[in-house]
Amino acid sequence: MSEGEAHKKRDIFMEGAIPASFIGESIAKHASRTDIGAHEIFLGQVRSDAVSGTGDGSVAPTVSAIEYTAYRDMANEQMITIREEAFARWPQMTCLHVHHSQGVIKAGELCFMVFASAPHRQQAREAVAYVTDEVKKRLPIFGKEILSDTTHVWKRNT
Amino acid sequence: MEVLLFGIIAEKAGMGSMGVEASSTHELIRALTARIPELEHLSYALAVDRTVVIDDRPLTGSEELALIPPFAGG
Repeated sequence: MSEGEAHKKRDIFMEGAIPASFIGESIAKHASRTDIGAHEIFLGQVRSDAVSGTGDGSVAPTVSAIEYTAYRDMANEQMITIREEAFARWPQMTCLHVHHSQGVIKAGELCFMVFASAPHRQQAREAVAYVTDEVKKRLPIFGKEILSDTTHVWKRNT
Repeated sequence: MEVLLFGIIAEKAGMGSMGVEASSTHELIRALTARIPELEHLSYALAVDRTVVIDDRPLTGSEELALIPPFAGG
Protein backbone atom coordinates (compact mmCIF):
# COMPACT_ATOMS: atom_id res chain seq x y z
CA MET A 1 0.00 0.00 0.00
CA SER A 2 2.54 2.58 1.08
CA GLU A 3 4.85 1.76 -1.83
CA GLY A 4 2.07 2.34 -4.36
CA GLU A 5 0.93 5.38 -2.44
CA ALA A 6 4.43 6.80 -2.49
CA HIS A 7 4.73 6.61 -6.26
CA LYS A 8 1.24 7.59 -7.23
CA LYS A 9 1.32 10.53 -9.62
CA ARG A 10 -1.24 13.14 -8.89
CA ASP A 11 -1.98 16.81 -9.30
CA ILE A 12 -1.91 18.64 -5.97
CA PHE A 13 -3.50 21.80 -7.38
CA MET A 14 -7.13 22.76 -7.04
CA GLU A 15 -8.84 25.88 -8.33
CA GLY A 16 -9.85 28.30 -5.59
CA ALA A 17 -9.87 27.98 -1.81
CA ILE A 18 -9.98 24.63 -0.01
CA PRO A 19 -13.49 24.33 1.43
CA ALA A 20 -13.88 23.12 5.04
CA SER A 21 -16.23 20.44 3.70
CA PHE A 22 -13.42 19.05 1.52
CA ILE A 23 -11.29 18.55 4.64
CA GLY A 24 -14.16 16.83 6.45
CA GLU A 25 -14.73 14.53 3.48
CA SER A 26 -11.00 13.74 3.31
CA ILE A 27 -11.08 12.61 6.92
CA ALA A 28 -14.25 10.58 6.39
CA LYS A 29 -12.65 8.66 3.49
CA HIS A 30 -10.24 7.04 5.97
CA ALA A 31 -12.93 5.45 8.13
CA SER A 32 -12.48 2.09 6.37
CA ARG A 33 -8.74 2.03 7.15
CA THR A 34 -8.92 0.60 10.64
CA ASP A 35 -5.12 0.23 10.82
CA ILE A 36 -4.91 4.03 11.14
CA GLY A 37 -4.67 5.34 14.70
CA ALA A 38 -3.68 8.96 14.07
CA HIS A 39 -4.40 11.72 11.58
CA GLU A 40 -2.35 14.91 11.49
CA ILE A 41 -3.43 17.87 9.35
CA PHE A 42 -1.73 21.18 8.56
CA LEU A 43 -3.90 23.89 7.00
CA GLY A 44 -2.50 27.10 5.55
CA GLN A 45 -4.77 30.15 5.64
CA VAL A 46 -4.28 33.44 3.83
CA ARG A 47 -3.30 36.04 6.41
CA SER A 48 -4.21 39.71 6.17
CA ASP A 49 -0.72 41.11 6.80
CA ALA A 50 -0.10 44.83 6.83
CA VAL A 51 2.41 45.60 4.10
CA SER A 52 4.99 48.23 5.04
CA GLY A 53 3.88 51.55 3.64
CA THR A 54 5.72 54.12 1.62
CA GLY A 55 6.82 56.04 4.71
CA ASP A 56 4.68 59.05 3.88
CA GLY A 57 2.56 58.56 6.98
CA SER A 58 -0.32 56.94 5.14
CA VAL A 59 -1.99 53.84 6.58
CA ALA A 60 -0.25 50.65 5.44
CA PRO A 61 -2.45 48.58 3.12
CA THR A 62 -3.26 45.02 4.13
CA VAL A 63 -3.34 41.81 2.11
CA SER A 64 -6.90 41.17 0.96
CA ALA A 65 -6.12 38.09 -1.16
CA ILE A 66 -3.30 36.08 -2.69
CA GLU A 67 -3.40 35.02 -6.32
CA TYR A 68 -1.47 31.75 -6.60
CA THR A 69 0.06 30.50 -9.83
CA ALA A 70 2.45 27.60 -10.25
CA TYR A 71 4.85 25.90 -12.62
CA ARG A 72 2.52 23.01 -12.26
CA ASP A 73 4.45 20.19 -13.93
CA MET A 74 7.63 20.96 -11.99
CA ALA A 75 5.70 21.38 -8.73
CA ASN A 76 3.98 18.01 -9.14
CA GLU A 77 7.32 16.36 -9.93
CA GLN A 78 8.90 17.92 -6.84
CA MET A 79 5.93 16.72 -4.82
CA ILE A 80 6.54 13.11 -5.95
CA THR A 81 10.14 13.40 -4.68
CA ILE A 82 9.06 14.89 -1.33
CA ARG A 83 6.40 12.19 -0.99
CA GLU A 84 8.99 9.46 -1.60
CA GLU A 85 11.31 11.03 0.97
CA ALA A 86 8.49 11.13 3.53
CA PHE A 87 7.54 7.48 2.99
CA ALA A 88 11.23 6.49 3.23
CA ARG A 89 11.63 8.38 6.53
CA TRP A 90 8.29 7.31 8.05
CA PRO A 91 7.64 3.88 6.49
CA GLN A 92 4.75 3.15 8.85
CA MET A 93 2.80 6.11 7.45
CA THR A 94 -0.44 4.84 5.91
CA CYS A 95 -1.12 7.72 3.52
CA LEU A 96 -0.27 11.30 2.70
CA HIS A 97 -2.43 13.86 0.92
CA VAL A 98 -1.31 17.32 -0.20
CA HIS A 99 -3.45 20.00 -1.83
CA HIS A 100 -2.62 23.58 -2.82
CA SER A 101 -4.85 26.26 -4.25
CA GLN A 102 -4.47 28.07 -7.53
CA GLY A 103 -6.20 31.34 -8.35
CA VAL A 104 -7.38 34.12 -6.05
CA ILE A 105 -7.72 33.10 -2.39
CA LYS A 106 -9.16 35.72 -0.04
CA ALA A 107 -7.78 36.47 3.43
CA GLY A 108 -9.28 33.98 5.86
CA GLU A 109 -9.63 31.24 3.25
CA LEU A 110 -7.58 28.03 3.19
CA CYS A 111 -4.97 27.55 0.49
CA PHE A 112 -2.78 24.61 1.60
CA MET A 113 -3.44 21.24 3.21
CA VAL A 114 -1.06 18.49 4.29
CA PHE A 115 -2.78 15.41 5.71
CA ALA A 116 -0.89 12.34 6.96
CA SER A 117 -2.29 9.22 8.58
CA ALA A 118 -0.37 6.53 10.45
CA PRO A 119 -0.93 3.84 13.05
CA HIS A 120 0.57 6.15 15.72
CA ARG A 121 0.70 9.92 16.15
CA GLN A 122 4.45 10.51 16.11
CA GLN A 123 4.95 9.41 12.49
CA ALA A 124 1.97 11.41 11.27
CA ARG A 125 3.11 14.51 13.14
CA GLU A 126 6.70 14.39 11.98
CA ALA A 127 5.73 13.66 8.38
CA VAL A 128 3.31 16.59 8.22
CA ALA A 129 5.92 18.98 9.65
CA TYR A 130 8.52 17.77 7.15
CA VAL A 131 6.27 17.81 4.10
CA THR A 132 4.82 21.25 4.95
CA ASP A 133 8.30 22.80 5.19
CA GLU A 134 9.61 21.08 2.06
CA VAL A 135 6.59 22.11 -0.04
CA LYS A 136 7.12 25.73 0.96
CA LYS A 137 10.83 25.52 0.12
CA ARG A 138 10.85 23.40 -3.04
CA LEU A 139 7.61 23.78 -5.02
CA PRO A 140 7.57 26.49 -7.71
CA ILE A 141 4.42 28.21 -6.53
CA PHE A 142 4.13 31.98 -6.85
CA GLY A 143 1.92 34.34 -4.86
CA LYS A 144 0.72 37.79 -5.82
CA GLU A 145 -0.52 39.56 -2.69
CA ILE A 146 -3.44 41.76 -3.68
CA LEU A 147 -3.63 44.69 -1.27
CA SER A 148 -6.56 46.64 0.13
CA ASP A 149 -5.52 49.67 -1.94
CA THR A 150 -5.69 47.50 -5.14
CA THR A 151 -1.90 47.51 -5.64
CA HIS A 152 0.02 44.25 -5.32
CA VAL A 153 3.33 42.84 -4.12
CA TRP A 154 4.92 39.46 -4.84
CA LYS A 155 5.17 37.19 -1.83
CA ARG A 156 8.33 35.18 -1.16
CA ASN A 157 8.84 32.48 1.42
CA THR A 158 11.64 33.14 3.88
CA MET B 1 13.25 27.88 -28.15
CA GLU B 2 10.42 28.82 -25.87
CA VAL B 3 11.03 29.82 -22.25
CA LEU B 4 8.19 29.68 -19.74
CA LEU B 5 7.91 32.72 -17.47
CA PHE B 6 6.25 32.82 -14.06
CA GLY B 7 5.15 35.22 -11.35
CA ILE B 8 6.79 38.63 -11.28
CA ILE B 9 8.90 37.75 -14.35
CA ALA B 10 5.80 37.03 -16.45
CA GLU B 11 4.34 40.29 -15.16
CA LYS B 12 7.43 42.35 -16.11
CA ALA B 13 7.68 40.66 -19.52
CA GLY B 14 3.96 41.03 -20.13
CA MET B 15 3.74 37.42 -21.31
CA GLY B 16 3.81 33.86 -20.01
CA SER B 17 6.47 32.60 -22.40
CA MET B 18 9.09 34.06 -24.69
CA GLY B 19 10.88 32.76 -27.79
CA VAL B 20 14.68 33.15 -27.55
CA GLU B 21 17.62 31.54 -29.36
CA ALA B 22 20.62 30.37 -27.34
CA SER B 23 23.07 27.47 -27.40
CA SER B 24 23.83 27.40 -23.68
CA THR B 25 22.13 28.25 -20.39
CA HIS B 26 24.25 31.34 -19.72
CA GLU B 27 23.71 32.59 -23.25
CA LEU B 28 19.99 32.07 -22.70
CA ILE B 29 20.09 34.18 -19.53
CA ARG B 30 21.93 36.95 -21.40
CA ALA B 31 19.38 36.87 -24.23
CA LEU B 32 16.47 36.97 -21.80
CA THR B 33 18.01 39.83 -19.83
CA ALA B 34 18.34 41.81 -23.05
CA ARG B 35 14.63 41.31 -23.65
CA ILE B 36 13.50 41.74 -20.02
CA PRO B 37 15.86 44.34 -18.48
CA GLU B 38 14.13 44.04 -15.06
CA LEU B 39 15.83 40.63 -14.67
CA GLU B 40 18.97 42.52 -13.60
CA HIS B 41 17.19 43.42 -10.37
CA LEU B 42 15.13 40.29 -9.76
CA SER B 43 15.91 36.99 -8.02
CA TYR B 44 15.19 33.98 -10.21
CA ALA B 45 16.42 30.54 -11.24
CA LEU B 46 16.54 28.80 -14.60
CA ALA B 47 14.88 25.39 -14.74
CA VAL B 48 15.92 22.98 -17.50
CA ASP B 49 13.56 20.04 -17.82
CA ARG B 50 12.06 20.97 -14.45
CA THR B 51 15.38 21.00 -12.59
CA VAL B 52 17.18 24.17 -11.50
CA VAL B 53 20.47 24.62 -13.36
CA ILE B 54 23.10 27.12 -12.20
CA ASP B 55 26.20 26.19 -14.22
CA ASP B 56 26.64 26.90 -17.91
CA ARG B 57 25.62 23.93 -20.03
CA PRO B 58 24.74 23.39 -23.68
CA LEU B 59 21.15 23.49 -24.86
CA THR B 60 19.89 21.46 -27.81
CA GLY B 61 16.57 23.23 -28.17
CA SER B 62 14.51 20.23 -27.09
CA GLU B 63 14.60 21.09 -23.37
CA GLU B 64 11.69 22.47 -21.37
CA LEU B 65 12.94 25.84 -20.13
CA ALA B 66 11.50 28.09 -17.42
CA LEU B 67 12.48 31.16 -15.44
CA ILE B 68 11.18 30.87 -11.92
CA PRO B 69 11.10 33.65 -9.30
CA PRO B 70 11.26 32.98 -5.51
CA PHE B 71 8.72 30.45 -4.25
CA ALA B 72 5.71 31.50 -2.20
CA GLY B 73 3.67 28.36 -1.68
CA GLY B 74 1.88 27.49 1.52
